[in-house]
Amino acid sequence: MNPIFKSLGALVLLGLSSLAHAFDLQQLSDQLARPEVIHGNFIQEKHLRALPQPLTSKGTFVLAKSNGLLWLLKTPLQQDYRITPQGIARRDASGWQMLPGKSAGAEQNRLFLAVLQGDSSGLQRDFELSLSGDAQNWKLTLLPRSLLLKQVFKQINITGGELVSTIELLETQGDSTLLRMQDSTSAQPLSTAEQHDFTE
Amino acid sequence: MTLPSERRLPWLFLNLLLAVLALAGWQWRDGAPLSANLMELVPGTAPDALELRAEQRMQEPLNRELLMLVGHKDREQAIAMAQKLGEQWQASGLFEKVQWTLQADLPALRTQLLQGRLAMLSEADRQQLTEHPDAFIQQRVQALFDPFTGFSLVPSQDDWLGLTGRIQNSQPQHGTVQLDIGSGALIADADGKSWVMLRAKTTGNAFDMSLPLQVADLLKHSREQAAQSDVQLLAASGLLYAASGQQQATREITWVGGGATLGILALLLLAFRRWRVLLAFIPVLVGMLFGAVTCVALFGHMHVMTLVLGSSLIGVAVDYPLHYLSKSWSLKPWHSWPALRLTLPGLTLSLITSCIGYLALAWTPFPALTQIAVFSAAGLLGAYLSAVCLLPALLKGADIRPAQWPLRLCECLLSLRDALLKQASTPVLLALLIAFCVGGLLKLDSKNDIRQWIGAPQQLTDEAKTIARITGFQPTSQFFLVRGANQQELLVRQTALNERLDQLVNLEKLQGYLSLNQLVSQPSEQQQVREALGKLPQFWQPLLDVGVPAEALHAELTKLQALPTEDIDTALLGPLAEPYRPLWLGPTDDGGVAAMVSLQGLNDPTLLRVQALDLPGVKLVDRLGELNSVFAATQISAAELKLASCALIVLVLMLPFGLGGALRIVALPLLAALCSLASLGWLGQPLTLFSLFGLLLVTAISVDYAILMREQVGGAAVSLLGTLLAALTTWLSFGLLAVSSTPAVSNFGLSVSLGLAFSFILAPWAGRHPHTAPVAESAA
Repeated sequence: MNPIFKSLGALVLLGLSSLAHAFDLQQLSDQLARPEVIHGNFIQEKHLRALPQPLTSKGTFVLAKSNGLLWLLKTPLQQDYRITPQGIARRDASGWQMLPGKSAGAEQNRLFLAVLQGDSSGLQRDFELSLSGDAQNWKLTLLPRSLLLKQVFKQINITGGELVSTIELLETQGDSTLLRMQDSTSAQPLSTAEQHDFTE
Repeated sequence: MTLPSERRLPWLFLNLLLAVLALAGWQWRDGAPLSANLMELVPGTAPDALELRAEQRMQEPLNRELLMLVGHKDREQAIAMAQKLGEQWQASGLFEKVQWTLQADLPALRTQLLQGRLAMLSEADRQQLTEHPDAFIQQRVQALFDPFTGFSLVPSQDDWLGLTGRIQNSQPQHGTVQLDIGSGALIADADGKSWVMLRAKTTGNAFDMSLPLQVADLLKHSREQAAQSDVQLLAASGLLYAASGQQQATREITWVGGGATLGILALLLLAFRRWRVLLAFIPVLVGMLFGAVTCVALFGHMHVMTLVLGSSLIGVAVDYPLHYLSKSWSLKPWHSWPALRLTLPGLTLSLITSCIGYLALAWTPFPALTQIAVFSAAGLLGAYLSAVCLLPALLKGADIRPAQWPLRLCECLLSLRDALLKQASTPVLLALLIAFCVGGLLKLDSKNDIRQWIGAPQQLTDEAKTIARITGFQPTSQFFLVRGANQQELLVRQTALNERLDQLVNLEKLQGYLSLNQLVSQPSEQQQVREALGKLPQFWQPLLDVGVPAEALHAELTKLQALPTEDIDTALLGPLAEPYRPLWLGPTDDGGVAAMVSLQGLNDPTLLRVQALDLPGVKLVDRLGELNSVFAATQISAAELKLASCALIVLVLMLPFGLGGALRIVALPLLAALCSLASLGWLGQPLTLFSLFGLLLVTAISVDYAILMREQVGGAAVSLLGTLLAALTTWLSFGLLAVSSTPAVSNFGLSVSLGLAFSFILAPWAGRHPHTAPVAESAA
């Protein structure tokens, strides 16, 4: 189980639900569900207790409602990831390689699928969700419910406006990871190359 | 007229009976001394103590654990039901532990991973570290930035080189069961349903008499409860097999024992038309009592299978009173003591020959048959004593006027036989019979399998198979036993074995295996890792480039190199070692050490044997395979025993009948046995060890018929009637065994039934006129 992955899953989930009322979870879902495709840049900061400086990496991402997620790491090293209903894949010299379905990874995949299918009970069961702010500036907090999850991390914070802007993950042991999504746009459709990446 | 000795006998016998009853009461003081342990019945083949210990270790979970899958198409509902049932089961008091969630002790896991960074590294990772340290570092850098590698238990700063993550990922994963992070449940998805795994460990084992039934009851109740919420339960456990075996045994004892009893009582009433004749059943009861008391006295307990097969004793025990009761057709008026005096020699011979036949079974290597032999021999003795000492006194003054129709029937049968003999002489008939036998024997197939002992219901085996398919857990009963002079040698030998097993896994002949060296590597390999780590600073520049401080790396290296070399005992302490713990047998008597390698999903057992052939200290333990070969070997020794018992019976019979007569009397049952074998062939039934045992027995019992016919007390028709009654009562009890759902028991019943029928048909040829047939000589 990867917490970052879970937060991404949460986003997709929220993006899929569609019910419009006062600004609540449903409305947030509705708001995030609108775009078919989101392109953007990300900065990932891994704050480790032992390091004065965070481990920072940058890249771009493509979140497509009907396909999945492309996560393209550019610096300090180049590495492409893809999450689809089939599982998690990593690109090497010879093309996309599915990561072996070890129990933890396969579980992530299952959750992701549940999320893609709009199965909100999956997240609601594992996390306590609380939302504050308004449509233009909101903050969603996920608190793990189970003892097992609590032993791994404290909480996940997601903030945003029209689209998601940050995901912050606080591990129980004191480390944390901050994902900042910048210049996100929903104006652009999938390019041929991206479509190819999803289907290859 | 009653002799003075005949006045005292009943009292003497009653005293003996009282003593035996008192002994029985003492034996049953703590409840029934019964056992249902199937393994007690099969030959003990394990030659040394270590192998035995290993076997017990492997079997324990089978006899104490229950695996249940709780399935529903909605994962939440499945989990909720598993939780509900788990709580109920825990509260039932039947289980020591009921578990449906993974209670991971993460701090302990972290400690074990950190401590085991040298010792627990997989071979592939060791190789990369030694041969391609640059790639090793590169992968670590990637992992630090990879948001999707899965979570690592140990934070990066405690393990900059990522060794713990590698150990975590290289642990062998068997099956398709996955952890549900939210609930902690272990879940497999199959057939459109989510299956939550629930494991329960009982307080006692499967051979406790009441526990399996209680567990089966609880499961049945849970099934009903689950079905109301549309939840499906699948369960597998040795306990369930034990429960079904017990229920089946009870059912069969009721059917066979009850059926035989009713049939025999009806037969007695029909033939003798007096209520008092039902007293002839006393020897049966006394026989059962003697059998049970002797069995418990000799073996400490009695197996339920002995009771099932022993219930056929009813039909043999009732033959003793029948011997003299049937004389009421010729002795008019019939008086009990004189009738007994007249038949006593025949009765005594019959007891001796039957006992010889039964006790011959005791020399087979099957504890089950030894018990049955002892039970039956003691039972027969009891029945004989009560028939000789007590019953005549009880029947004294009984005015027995038997129905005449059975006698007329027998006269009719004899005249039929005479008519037949006019058409075809005995040698011609014999030739025809031999042709029948040869034809049948050519068609006969031999088949032996331990599974014949188990009449497991289809539903249980189907469920176990479904569970194996859904979870991917396919434990096999075979395992490897590996010995070494010390731990280093043991692990080296395991590595050699694992290389071969890996090939089988690649060929998909084996699904997987579990071996101690997957948990802990040899001391020399740990040293290798230590040395390889020492060279790492030349290669770790990429880590420094992304910001990992050099001091942190150096500090970690120092820590790593100071880690002590782990031995098996230390490695087995942590939570990750749980599945490995049963594999470690520790120090052996010869000063060495030993461990097991367990196997999963075996497709071809013969391939396994080959793997161990030239590996020193490695041995395949295949109890089932060994048992099956013991079965085949026993078949031959059973045939030898049969001949030996016949020789002994000839010796006994030579006293009253002379060599020629004795040979003829023994030849008839042998010919009958041959005919039964041929009939099995014609019927398309396989020859099993059990049919052979049945024939062994029938030889002994049917010698009795030949004796009756040869003695001809009261004429041929009366003797044939006596034989008919004896055969009918015996058949009523043994023949009913044929309906048993345990293949071994039913096979036994079938062959005895056939043997009895042929013995009866052939019995008239035992007649005292030597010219009737050269049967004896040719068949012997």
